Amino acid sequence: MIVLKNLTKKFDQFTAVDSVNMTIETGEFFGLLGLNGAGKTTTIGMLSTLLLPTQGEIFIDGELLTRKRTDLKQKISVITQEYSMRQDMNMDEIMEYQGRLYYMPKKEIRKRSEELLEFCGLINDRRKTVRKLSGGMKRKLMVCRALLTNPEILLLDEPTAGMDAVSRRQMWNLLKQLNGKNLTILLTTHYMEEAEHLCARVAMMNHGKIEKISAPQDFIDELGRFAVDETEEGKAATYYFHIKEEALKFAAQINGSFKLRDTTLEDAFVERAKKDEIR
Amino acid sequence: MGIITILWEKWVEFRRDFYKITLAAMIAPLMYLLVFGMGIQTMSHGKPYLHYLIPGVVALTTMNGSFNAIAQNLNVQRLYEKAFDQVMISPTPLWQFMIGQIIAGSIRGLYAGGVILLLVWPIHTGLIFNGFSFLVLFLNGAVFSALGVVVSFLARNHADVPRFSNYLIMPMAFLCNTFFSTENMPKEIRSVISVLPLSETSSIVRHIAYGEVWNFSGILVLLAYLFVLTAIGLWFVYQKQNL
Repeated sequence: MIVLKNLTKKFDQFTAVDSVNMTIETGEFFGLLGLNGAGKTTTIGMLSTLLLPTQGEIFIDGELLTRKRTDLKQKISVITQEYSMRQDMNMDEIMEYQGRLYYMPKKEIRKRSEELLEFCGLINDRRKTVRKLSGGMKRKLMVCRALLTNPEILLLDEPTAGMDAVSRRQMWNLLKQLNGKNLTILLTTHYMEEAEHLCARVAMMNHGKIEKISAPQDFIDELGRFAVDETEEGKAATYYFHIKEEALKFAAQINGSFKLRDTTLEDAFVERAKKDEIR
Repeated sequence: MGIITILWEKWVEFRRDFYKITLAAMIAPLMYLLVFGMGIQTMSHGKPYLHYLIPGVVALTTMNGSFNAIAQNLNVQRLYEKAFDQVMISPTPLWQFMIGQIIAGSIRGLYAGGVILLLVWPIHTGLIFNGFSFLVLFLNGAVFSALGVVVSFLARNHADVPRFSNYLIMPMAFLCNTFFSTENMPKEIRSVISVLPLSETSSIVRHIAYGEVWNFSGILVLLAYLFVLTAIGLWFVYQKQNL
């Protein structure tokens, strides 16, 4: 279980994360959503101890997380937003380095590396140095590296950014499988479809604060489960309804073209962002 | 153990860039030896100047080899490749990372110094390089590797390391007993320069090379530098707010 208590991070006068209180249960798939600069990556940075909190604490299974707590760090793997690998190492060396940093036996490093590289379709390029890999391949390698150590907690900061649609789906399936084995996952993503598909609960973050934590469906229900997209000359708008009949009644009055569809988490996210802009 | 992991990482790097590293280690010291030692034929302390120069240049090479191996590399890993993030996140204790960097840097410095010794081997100088010489050279490398770690954490961009190198390493290279004896300098300057780590190293290595009695206090000075710089490096990895 991960508990954030009053977690705050300031960079000079700027408050990137502002008194965040949040609990992520063991085995939960939790999403952290927000616009650019909302404080998601800073939160992950503190969870991975790269950044020290200005105020507040992080507890992993009831124990205070610090840079010295190697026993707690052993449980965590991180996929950072930026590529974080030595450019001059090949895939095998990247995996071996990771395994060694986590005190894995050499045999196990080799076995797990082969399995993971095979699964991600990287096995034939294992001798290529990182510098020669495409963006998507680098991203996949980071995922393989993070999973190599059999973590109990996986922190994912935009893990599928730059991946093609097939690889992304493949990754979703893998993450779902892992979550099924009681792996706790904290995901930040800009793909709302990803969060809706994977996360049991999501937190909406805005200007460093957590606005609301709930299941993706709750955000959708709050807005209305049915959406009507209206397109008229020079005008496009979306209206939300709790009851389908109401949505149909509204759509019948529209002069231009319309589309009735289910509301998505992205709709809920965009509407919240719009409200925030008006405020 | 984490120290072995860091040494392995450095070994991978060394194996890959063996020729580049070896050539880079040779160029500047060879120039010094050719230009100052063999080009300008002169005598110093009753011996050919080249005999005076070799121990100083070997000490200088270990300093440069160690500092460059760590400062530039760690700076790139921290600011550009972000590979240092993985070390921070991992359960490898950060003090072991620090010690690993220092040992690896010392070995790289010692390697660079060893290459120079091999190159001057055919010149029969009669200079003595024994186990104590290599111990002092190793310690010198350790001091400058630790300095390299500190500098890489202080650096805010890629240009900062060469800048620090200009402020710290370059003046030491020229002033600290490498090319001339500090004995001839004004007292005030001499008292400052003589306690710098490279001055101590050059002095001890030169005394050993000449078969003279040398002062153990120089080793204590090097150990003191190593202790202080390691402590600063550890403070950075454990206490710095944003790495």
